[in-house]
Formats: sequence, C-alpha cells, structure tokens
Amino acid sequence: MGLQAPLWRAIAAYRFASLAYAAVLLVLNRADYSHLPWAWVILAGMVAWTAVTTRAYAVPARRTHTLLAADLLVTAAALLSTAAVQYAASTYQANMPVTATWIAGPVLAWAVAAGRRAGMAAAIALGICDLILVHRSLVHIEGPGLNGPILLLLSGWVVGYVSRLATQAESALQRATEIEAASRERERIARDIHDSVLQVLALVQRRGTEAGGEAAEIGRLAGEQEAALRTLIGTGSEQAIPFGELDLRTLLTRDATALVSVITPAEPVRLSGEAAEQTALAVRAALDNVRQHCGEGTHAWVLVEDEGAVVTVTIRDDGTGIPPGRLADAAADGRLGVSHAIRGRIRDLGGSASVNSGPGAGTEVRLRIPRAGQMA
Amino acid sequence: MVVDDHPMWRDAVARDLADAGFEVVAALGEGASALRVIGAAQPDVVVADLRLPDISGVEVTRGVLAARPAARVLILSASGEQQDVLDAVKAGAAGYILKSASRAEFLDAVRRTAAGDAVFTPGLAGLVLGEFRRLAASPATGGQHAPQLTDREAEVLRMVATGLSYKQIAERLVLSHRTVQNHVQNTLTKLHLHNRVELVRYAIEHGLDSAAGQPGSGHDVG
Repeated sequence: MGLQAPLWRAIAAYRFASLAYAAVLLVLNRADYSHLPWAWVILAGMVAWTAVTTRAYAVPARRTHTLLAADLLVTAAALLSTAAVQYAASTYQANMPVTATWIAGPVLAWAVAAGRRAGMAAAIALGICDLILVHRSLVHIEGPGLNGPILLLLSGWVVGYVSRLATQAESALQRATEIEAASRERERIARDIHDSVLQVLALVQRRGTEAGGEAAEIGRLAGEQEAALRTLIGTGSEQAIPFGELDLRTLLTRDATALVSVITPAEPVRLSGEAAEQTALAVRAALDNVRQHCGEGTHAWVLVEDEGAVVTVTIRDDGTGIPPGRLADAAADGRLGVSHAIRGRIRDLGGSASVNSGPGAGTEVRLRIPRAGQMA
Repeated sequence: MVVDDHPMWRDAVARDLADAGFEVVAALGEGASALRVIGAAQPDVVVADLRLPDISGVEVTRGVLAARPAARVLILSASGEQQDVLDAVKAGAAGYILKSASRAEFLDAVRRTAAGDAVFTPGLAGLVLGEFRRLAASPATGGQHAPQLTDREAEVLRMVATGLSYKQIAERLVLSHRTVQNHVQNTLTKLHLHNRVELVRYAIEHGLDSAAGQPGSGHDVG
C-alpha cells in the first residue's frame, strides 16, 4: 500500500510510546489511585489491545469497520474505567486518566483509514467520554479540561488530511509511472518499427516506382502505408503542448500520402484545439477537391507557416486549375463544397481563405487563421 | 561515401550510385567509423542517414566538415525528422532528400550536391522558413542579431515549399533560373553563418575562446 503502510507503522509506534508514558504516569501518580492493582490490570489490557491492533492494522485486508469500531469501544471503555480506579478528586483536578495519551490511537487509526471526518468523529466520541469523566459531578467546569479533547480533534483532522493527501499523491505517482512506462514502451516500439518496417516499406516504394507497372502500384501502396505507420508511431521529437491546444502539424501530417506532401516548420504549430481541428477539416476539404477535380497523379503540397499572430496554410496542386468564374457558378448552383467546407470554417475562426487559380497553373488555396486572442 | 546502418538501404544506395557512374569510396553502417576513414577515403560527397546507431547524422555532418571542409554532405532522411534535418542543415549539410524519393530524384540530388548546389526540397524550404521565423521571434537572439530573409527570398522559399520547380519560379517571378538558385542558396548561407556566430558566442560565454582562438588549433567548425 505504499505510502499508507508507514502511516500505520507510525500509529503503532505512537501507541507503544503512549503506553510507556501511561505506565510512567501510573507509577508517578500512584497516590491518586484508589484501586492501584486494578489500574495495572487496565494497563495490561491496554498492552494486550495494542498488540492485537498493531498486528491487525498491519494487514490492509484486516482494517475493517468492525476492527475500527472495536478499537474505539475498547479505548473508550479503558478511558471511562478510570472513574472506578482513580480518586474522584484527582480526576477533577484534570489529572491524566489511566489511559493518558493512549486514547489518541483510534483517532489516528480512523483518520488514516477513512479521512479527516472519521478522525474527527472518533475524536469527538472520545472527547465526550473524557468530558463525562472530568465533569462527573459537574463541580469543576474549567478551561484546561477541554485541552485534551481539542488536541484530539485537531490531530484527527490533521492526520486525516495528511492521509488523504498521501493516498492522492500515491495514486498520482502510480498514474505517472504507468504513463511513463507506456510511453517508454511506445518509444521502443517506434524505434524498432522505424529501424525495420519503415526502412523496408520505403525501399519497396522506391524500387516499385522504378520498376513501373504493377510494381509501381505496390510501391505506391507501400509508400502510403509507410506514411500512415510513421504517423501512427509518431516518430520525431515531440514537444509538450499545453492542455487545450493542438499541434497543427500532427493533424495535417495525417493527410500526407505519396501524392500529398505536408511541409511544416520544425517546431510545433500550436492552435487552440477547436481552431486546429477546423483548420485540418478545411485542409482535408481542399485536398478532397484536388482528388475530385484534378486527374489521378496530381501532386499537392500543404505548407504550414507560423507567423506568430497568424498561422498560414497554403494548399497548392499541380493540376489543371479552375477556370475563372467556376467557383462562383458552383456556389450559385447551390454546390457549396469549396465555399462552405473551406471558407465557412475559416471565417468562423475569424480568418480568411483565398483561392488563386488559372487554367493550367494549378490551384492555390491560402488559409489565414488568427491565433485566439490576437487580431489578424 | 555512403553512411547508413540499414544494410538493404546501404547496398541499394551504393549500387545506384555506382550504376550512375559515381565512385563509392566507402559504405559504412556507423557514424564513428565513417569519421575515422574520412581522411583516407577523401570523399567529395557523403550521403548520410540521419539516424545511425552510434552518433547522429548531425554529428556526422559536423565531423565530416571539420575533417574535410571541401566535402559536401547530403542527408538521407525518413520523413518526420524535421528538427534533426534542420540541425544537420544548420551544421552545414548541403541538403536532404527523403528516403521515399525516387532513384532519379536521389541521383539528381547527389549530382547537384557534388556540383556545390543546395538540394532544396519543399520540405527543407518549409523548415528554413520556419527557422527564420523562429529566430526573428526568439527573445534569446534579440531580433537584431537574427538573420532575416529579404521579401524576395521569403517569396522564393514559399514557392519552393509548395512544390514549384526553380524553372516555374523563374517564370512566375520573371527571373533567371540562376537568380532563383542564388536566392535559395543565400538563405542557407545566412543560416550557416548565424549558426557559426552562435557557436563562437557560445564558446566565448563558456570560456572556450582562448582555445578556439589559437591559430591552427582547430578545424573549421561550420
């Protein structure tokens, strides 16, 4: 149980130390006791109970509600038995009961087992017993008599808080360890794939393209799989991205194929999650257009530039180009593909999209996306 | 000279080069051994994989140019290694070509490297554009020491980055092919220069200047 175990050991140590203290007090204050032998019997019982609880609390499975309740009851009984063995006068003078500080044991146990509320509940229960003991005759109601219960209450609160903190720290540590192990493993797999499968796929692509015919098709497929696999294992230096932001490069690199080159800076291009995803969808729409309207084998390039306040994405193809007026006609016909999927998305982000094309000159779509909070 | 740890690739690249009439003086699988034989092999062009089992392609680039400043390094890279590619180019590599490039593209790149031209793929143009932006925006360089691209250079780089050939760029901008090439080459020269200035500044800041400043004590760091 990691961090909990030391807490339980500390409680056990506290119980034995407080037993020794109770014994010393019993020897020193023996004059206050009307039934001294019985006081020693109570102390012997406390020793036995301490031994039992120490063994029981050491095993997580035995830390049951029953044990905790029994612990509280036995301790309360030992505390209240003081009334039978001590002269009443000495109790009124707020002398230590026979249990002395030993009564804090169950408070600490409850606090560690179930948090600060449980610890305080145990403290209040024992505090009431203590007050009953001191004010049996309601003669002396004085401030010092409250010190013990208040200290008990505070220790229940503090230990419960620390225990909860330890549990949380432990689970956080465990999560971090798991994540680290997983990412280590992922890195190892990525390295292995990079050194073996990716090299072969790249070679197949190269050789296949040279051989032509059916082999070229195999080569093209190998190239696409190489790009897909590489994206999947995410090789290359990955830098931490703040929560809520995305690296536009990661999203766009997924669209890279043998015919689509995605060109980016070496550093992450950070955008808010929403902006990055909408931009990626707009780029995908533009690439879909290239596939639909230009012939097979048309190359496309996606260039990502980070200009600080604005991120620019340029999508250029070497296709036939769009005849002048064609886009306006399409929009008028109700075919909103380009206008809606690209312009609409970028306008919603507060950016702008422009299309440059001429017959035979390919098409260039330029998207400008302002960074959130900064005006373009 | 070919440096690649994957035997299939090493053999394929060496064979392609030999078939195309190049003399392959050495084909090795490790960066350190490549640097050891560089003096004996005297290569004009070193084709190096970016990822090697011992030292990185960036260090190979640095080591090759230190031992043999006349040599030119062409980095062979898988995609998705942008930062490493950029570091290699800043360390003096003449360019990089993706492993997915065709044999014709690869041989063309080696020929251009041998001729002393930068091999500027769209990917590299994008990286260089990004690097100039980063340098201009970075507070460490203070902006004033940061190298800047002229508008024309940025325009040309952007065109290279979106897949236009030098010829197409020359037509669009009504420039000569050679001028376009010069613009591209200039951007690299600026980066190399800046990298060297940074190295010297680093050396001075860390008290290494006395050693580095002695005549004949070291090699060309670029």
